[in-house]
Amino acid sequence: MNEKELEKLFAGVDDEPDAGAQSRALNAALQVFDEEQSTQKNTSASQGFAAGDRLTSEHPSFGRRIMQFISSNNPTQRWLYSGMASAAVLVVGVFVALQLPQYSGMEWPAAVTQDVRESEGIAPPQLTTLSDPWDDVAAEVAAIAPQSAVRAEPERRTSADMSPAAISAAAAPSRKAESDARRASKQLLLGGPIASFTGVQSLALADADGAVVAGYQQVGRDRFETVETNPIKRTSAEPVSTFSIDVDTASYSFVRRQLNSGVLPQKAAVRLEEMVNYFPYDYPLPTDRSQPFSTNVTVLDSPWKAGNKLVHIGIQGYDILESQPRTNLVFLLDVSGSMNSPDKLPLVKQSMGLLLSRLQPQDTVSIVVYAGAAGTVLEPTPVRDKQKILAALNRLQAGGSTAGAEGIQLAYQLAESQFIEDGVNRIILATDGDFNVGINNSEELKGFVERKRASGVFLSVLGFGAGNYHDALMQALAQNGNGIAAYIDTLGEAQKVLVDEATSALFPIAKDVKIQVEFNPATVSEYRLLGYETRMLAEEDFNNDAVDAGDIGAGHSVTAIYEITPVSSDSGVFSQSRYGEAPVSEGKSDEYGYLKLRYKLPDEDTSRLLSQPIVASSTASPDVMREARFATAVAGFAQLLQGGKYTADWDYTDAITMAQANRGDDLYGYRAEFIQLIRKAEVAAAL
Amino acid sequence: MTQDLQEIIGRAQRGDRDAFSRLVEDHYATIFRFACRYCGNRQDAEDVTQQACIKLARSLAQFRFESAFSTWLYRLVINCARDWLKSQCKRESDELDEIPVPGKQESTVLLHQVIALVDRMGEGFRESVALVLGMGMTHAEAAAILEVKESTVSWRLHEIRKRLNDQVQPGVER
Repeated sequence: MNEKELEKLFAGVDDEPDAGAQSRALNAALQVFDEEQSTQKNTSASQGFAAGDRLTSEHPSFGRRIMQFISSNNPTQRWLYSGMASAAVLVVGVFVALQLPQYSGMEWPAAVTQDVRESEGIAPPQLTTLSDPWDDVAAEVAAIAPQSAVRAEPERRTSADMSPAAISAAAAPSRKAESDARRASKQLLLGGPIASFTGVQSLALADADGAVVAGYQQVGRDRFETVETNPIKRTSAEPVSTFSIDVDTASYSFVRRQLNSGVLPQKAAVRLEEMVNYFPYDYPLPTDRSQPFSTNVTVLDSPWKAGNKLVHIGIQGYDILESQPRTNLVFLLDVSGSMNSPDKLPLVKQSMGLLLSRLQPQDTVSIVVYAGAAGTVLEPTPVRDKQKILAALNRLQAGGSTAGAEGIQLAYQLAESQFIEDGVNRIILATDGDFNVGINNSEELKGFVERKRASGVFLSVLGFGAGNYHDALMQALAQNGNGIAAYIDTLGEAQKVLVDEATSALFPIAKDVKIQVEFNPATVSEYRLLGYETRMLAEEDFNNDAVDAGDIGAGHSVTAIYEITPVSSDSGVFSQSRYGEAPVSEGKSDEYGYLKLRYKLPDEDTSRLLSQPIVASSTASPDVMREARFATAVAGFAQLLQGGKYTADWDYTDAITMAQANRGDDLYGYRAEFIQLIRKAEVAAAL
Repeated sequence: MTQDLQEIIGRAQRGDRDAFSRLVEDHYATIFRFACRYCGNRQDAEDVTQQACIKLARSLAQFRFESAFSTWLYRLVINCARDWLKSQCKRESDELDEIPVPGKQESTVLLHQVIALVDRMGEGFRESVALVLGMGMTHAEAAAILEVKESTVSWRLHEIRKRLNDQVQPGVER
């Protein structure tokens, strides 16, 4: 029922006054009116308190005088007295209230100091041998028990604005932390002397930790796993390098976001291979459907180290040009409170709207949201009812905590209920970060996704927003779910991932794609794989079909780069092995190595093998050379962001020159944007 | 306020029986119309209107021309109606918990249900809906009578509208 109907309902009320009723009412009223008039004539005040008319003694008692004073007939007086009384109570109240926080504010230093005194009593005093006892102790305590010190800090902070009762409760764990630190310092300085520091100094220590805590919050809570950059390897010691391909692009978008806001990204946020693979490369398309991709190997001179060579391995998947398979998509959207910012939920809605444009009318879409609880917002709906889907999207609002795991379970149920045989069944998870309710053990969650993958439902992850981005978990989920992980910072990026490259994001053409390169010790003395740190595989896993690896979607291109030092060059970092056998060349002196590639077709369980030699004098077409040089510029830029361990003098200016010269057609302007990014990084690095 | 009305009220306050009679006759229809919308049925409305007329006779002397007479009168009627409501101990024992659906029952029964629903939403809702939707007043006029802020009336009506066509989606917070 709406307002109009209600108004109509009111309008329909029969409200013609009945003449009989009216006259009855009038008579009754007049009767009262008459009574009223007659009483008014008899008594001047017929209403109210009649105390004034009572007989009272001429000399009222003391109590009565007070009562008359307060319950005075004059309203002004009454207000005045009651006002004064209230003011008096207020004065007393304010003083009592003011005393309380002051008291609790004094409480904690006393307690902490006491704790410190205790620790002094136990630990043998004096550390006179140290030049500056304060600095050293601070450094040691910080090094020994960082957790306990940090743990004690927030407790101390909060206790400052808590009541005394709460403080005593909080004191227990902080005392524990204190004793942890004490025990640890005793272990370190076994039997040795220890500084005697006063309570004031220990508070300064706590405050120094506090500063660290505050700084940490400013940086944000984006979580990245730090991975060691792949080291240079000696071919004679380890000639075989194996890794799984990675078609994710999340790292580049995140780096771009950071650079656009004027700061250099965290080193751990830079994943070289994801930055290189962000760009579409113009590799020749495979000619034959039976072999779903073409491999292009190019050898270039290393721009950052004279004498070294770069071996590019470019893989191009075929594109689905004619018929798109039928698709069953479940959007799993995070609507928790943290999504409530313009670059999150609104962007999610717009992105999903964009994706709809790439689907066929008979494909189905459902929407599951999760916040404090998970729920189905849209039952599976064919894309031809686009308005219905968009309306459901637009109704979403953010609020509550994040029960992501529950949402995932629900999404899988929904996807399985609509399962399309021979089609694409995929869940698209859009979130800004972690799952803090439900299965929050990420291992368990990954296991769940992995089991579900066997049923044919795949999972892709789209990351949104900054400040709480849980990169590692998103990566792991997408990897285990046979999907891509992309980070969407702008609508332009959504356009790229969900429209321009929708086919590659949605339709896999090969799964578990692994690359193995065996270098020829006769021609290559050292090699290094750029990026793919998180995707390294053991040599024996290459032939083991049970080991999971990356997937390639329709039209995807993947690039991997090795930096090698030819035997003839003296640009290597290892010195000559004194006892190493002289490498034997068995008539393959022209080959740097041998490339092997394993993949499975999407619906098969046994892998197929492709192989080709890496020839020193490569004969790639100029187009492929150009693409390889651009990939080199990106890889170089990523290395600079990571700290430039191997890039020597090569700097941002060189990166710009190289990228500029090899821009190619740049249909979508991604490469032009990349050049702008290098400039921004240059500025941010100079600051 | 017209000169005429002011004069009549003045005369009635001084004890002029005819003037009072005319005052009641002039305003009976307005009071009754409001009472109908507040109570939801004719019989109760007649009772309330009669009570209001009697109360007018008692308290007309207290009208100080500080506000419009109609505003003052509405307040008086609303007070009467509230008192009457309290005296009805059964208080719409036949109320239903579901949202009324138009077209299902006769309109009087439907109106009765809607009013019962609105009444349960909190204090002041029933008055607000009767004044604004029933009598076609602006939010400001209704607010003056109810002695609340205009925004309060707007909010109440918004709540009522929301509750009447509510269809909650799981997982979607409104």
